[in-house]
Amino acid sequence: MECIITIELGTNGVRVFAYDLHGCIIGSMKGHYPTFHTEPDHSEQDPEQIFITTLYVLKNILNEYIHPKKYKVASICFCASMHSVLAVDKNGNPIGNAITWADNRAKREAQELRDSQLGKKLYELTGTPIHPMSPLVKIAWIRNRDADRFRLTSKFLSIKSYVIQQLTGEYMIDYSIASATGLLNIHTVHWEDDALQYAGITANQLAELVPVFTKAGKLKNAYQQSLRLSADTKILIGSSDGCMATLGDGIKKGEEKASITIEDSGAVRVMGPNILKDEQMRFFNYLLTDNCYVSGGPTNNGGNIFEWFTRQFGEFTNPFDMESSIEQLMDEAANVPRGSDGLLFLPYLLGERAPIWNANARGAYFGLNIKHERRHFIRATIEGILYEIYSIGKMLSERQTINSLAVNGSFGTIPFCSQLIADIFSKPVQVRQPFHSVSFGAYLLSATEMGIYTSLDNVAAVAEMPNVFKPNEQHHTIYADYFCIFERLSAKLFDEFEAIGNLQQKYAHPIKPL
Amino acid sequence: MHLFPHILELGMKKNGSIQLNMFPTTIMEGLRIYHIIEGRFEWHINHQPYVFYPGDVALIMPDIPFGCDNDVLKIGSFTWIHLALPKKDGHIQPGKWSGLSDTEAAAIGKILSLNNLPALSRFNEVGRIIKCIYTELSEKEVAFQARVNHQIDELLIQITRKMTQQTHSTRDFPKTFTELEVLLRRDLAHQWTVEEMAGLVGMGTTLFTEKVKSYSGFSPINYLINIRISEAIKLLKRADITVTNIALDTGFYSSQHFSTTFKKLTGYRPSEFRKNHLRNI
Repeated sequence: MECIITIELGTNGVRVFAYDLHGCIIGSMKGHYPTFHTEPDHSEQDPEQIFITTLYVLKNILNEYIHPKKYKVASICFCASMHSVLAVDKNGNPIGNAITWADNRAKREAQELRDSQLGKKLYELTGTPIHPMSPLVKIAWIRNRDADRFRLTSKFLSIKSYVIQQLTGEYMIDYSIASATGLLNIHTVHWEDDALQYAGITANQLAELVPVFTKAGKLKNAYQQSLRLSADTKILIGSSDGCMATLGDGIKKGEEKASITIEDSGAVRVMGPNILKDEQMRFFNYLLTDNCYVSGGPTNNGGNIFEWFTRQFGEFTNPFDMESSIEQLMDEAANVPRGSDGLLFLPYLLGERAPIWNANARGAYFGLNIKHERRHFIRATIEGILYEIYSIGKMLSERQTINSLAVNGSFGTIPFCSQLIADIFSKPVQVRQPFHSVSFGAYLLSATEMGIYTSLDNVAAVAEMPNVFKPNEQHHTIYADYFCIFERLSAKLFDEFEAIGNLQQKYAHPIKPL
Repeated sequence: MHLFPHILELGMKKNGSIQLNMFPTTIMEGLRIYHIIEGRFEWHINHQPYVFYPGDVALIMPDIPFGCDNDVLKIGSFTWIHLALPKKDGHIQPGKWSGLSDTEAAAIGKILSLNNLPALSRFNEVGRIIKCIYTELSEKEVAFQARVNHQIDELLIQITRKMTQQTHSTRDFPKTFTELEVLLRRDLAHQWTVEEMAGLVGMGTTLFTEKVKSYSGFSPINYLINIRISEAIKLLKRADITVTNIALDTGFYSSQHFSTTFKKLTGYRPSEFRKNHLRNI
């Protein structure tokens, strides 16, 4: 019996799934790796720890589920978070830690580029919003502020490229991850000269650009032995988490359906044959395969905001029991009238990306009156997080009709939230069980490569999801009324966001050393 | 007091009027524990100001300066005990008089040194224990020696537990785990036990193991091995440190143990791995 292994290198850790050839899960395991914030805007991960954790989890899943049942591993497919940058020297050894998508150190570079003509041009050519997350500006930052590292760097890799290079010796980057670097021309599918020039590097300093179906070399002997895998085990380069979540949610190219991810952060995405252009540079357009683009907008403020709320105001009957505290709050929220009796929440605690792209944005409760109680705050917080998701969907629907939704991610798939999404959008919502669309997308990619499915255009039907939350029109009307104020406030507070942000910085207490 | 060489001082002070030059900053070798009964005291511990109210406890580690900014002692009352604790591996540890096992004593010493929290709020238990020690010492009833030493153990246990609870919120496991990871990395050569790790974040080992497993996917010890091997990989890629030293620096008890663990996980012996990564220099 053959099986397919998928490895997702995520923000907080690695998730490994084993599927049989029909797409049923044989087993799954995860391993956490930490993020280091050595300075306020920095967000880094240790590439060696990511590699060793991946290897460890892979070994465990093989020993527990695969080898005892005599499965033969046909392929191992990788997918990963976007926007990471890791500098390596001429021996391929890392210089410092990997810089993750959440790192904001290049905010000045990003702001200057965004305001320039070159910035507009690069956005159109590369499809990546000009933002500190983009490797384009991160590399520029290293050149400007960390000259030693820049000089010693032989290649700038993504975390996934590094892990694969450790396993097989090949330096490769797939179209999807590459299209999120801000360096790839998504029209010609070549590295963009103007972007390379801005970053101050040459194409030789990047990994080899390959389609998502590419075999990224052969597993090194030592790993064949320690993992007990045969030499012909295919190592598939795979794609990005965003593209795979969309594929795994059963979105068909050009279909009028959007995929919504709400984990810690979130995103709304559609998939189509065309790039969605935007004068205001609000959308991302990432490449899955030739002429297949995953477009949409990301948010910083998803389930992590409700976790913040729970830590502050939840009842913790057992220590560290976040899950049941969240459940309890959700139950309380369910007993509050829709619209929280006019209490609105702006969830921008971490600044915001789409649609307002304002790093200075901050959170707010608005409309508070003397009758509001604790329970109203709970519901308003959930509604506010989902209004933000809706505002991304609304922005997307300016360019593409959306008739239905698929929701994934730990926060979005809480039934209470899924129903709210259906009502706020006024669209039916499907939910993936058991909630892991990214891995399923990677399975679909591998299975297509093996010829089980004829093309990625045909796999949407495989990812069929029956569980439907139907919208209620009356409820929608209430949410739509409140959303108008939510949207206006988000724009009107622009100056005040900046003013309060400045004061927060001015009067900031230094971080206490441990 | 020859029966209790580890008790350097035990006292109580009722201060009816403000007194000048009464509380100068001093440095002592012993561990000093103060419990406030009445009044409000502004004391400096390690040059940082702290305000203490009734019920609060000041905990001054050995060799840390402690006193009032201007030597003035305000009105109020407090009790104290000064303990001489031997040092082992750079950390203080309860001595031979203690009924604690070696590993528990080591864990308590390690946690006290690492957490380094000089102000513990609302902690009347300390006052009760000091009073009890005082009574035992003055009445000398049968088996008072054992009772006193029990109470000192109890005092150190209570303080250690209180300290970890006060340092870590019980709401945010990811944050607690991140803080723990920082401490582990800072002293990777140490042979960490699960008891020490759990104690550092104020949890029992059962809950700790369960939470680490569900959060990280690994048992505490296996997670620690992850960190050890990732640090070892980094060091192996540098030419200036021997494999034996890498093994010891990253917490393996021998180069043999290091080699076996490394090979099991990566398929390479450390020396092979190093050769592959240094070939281009």
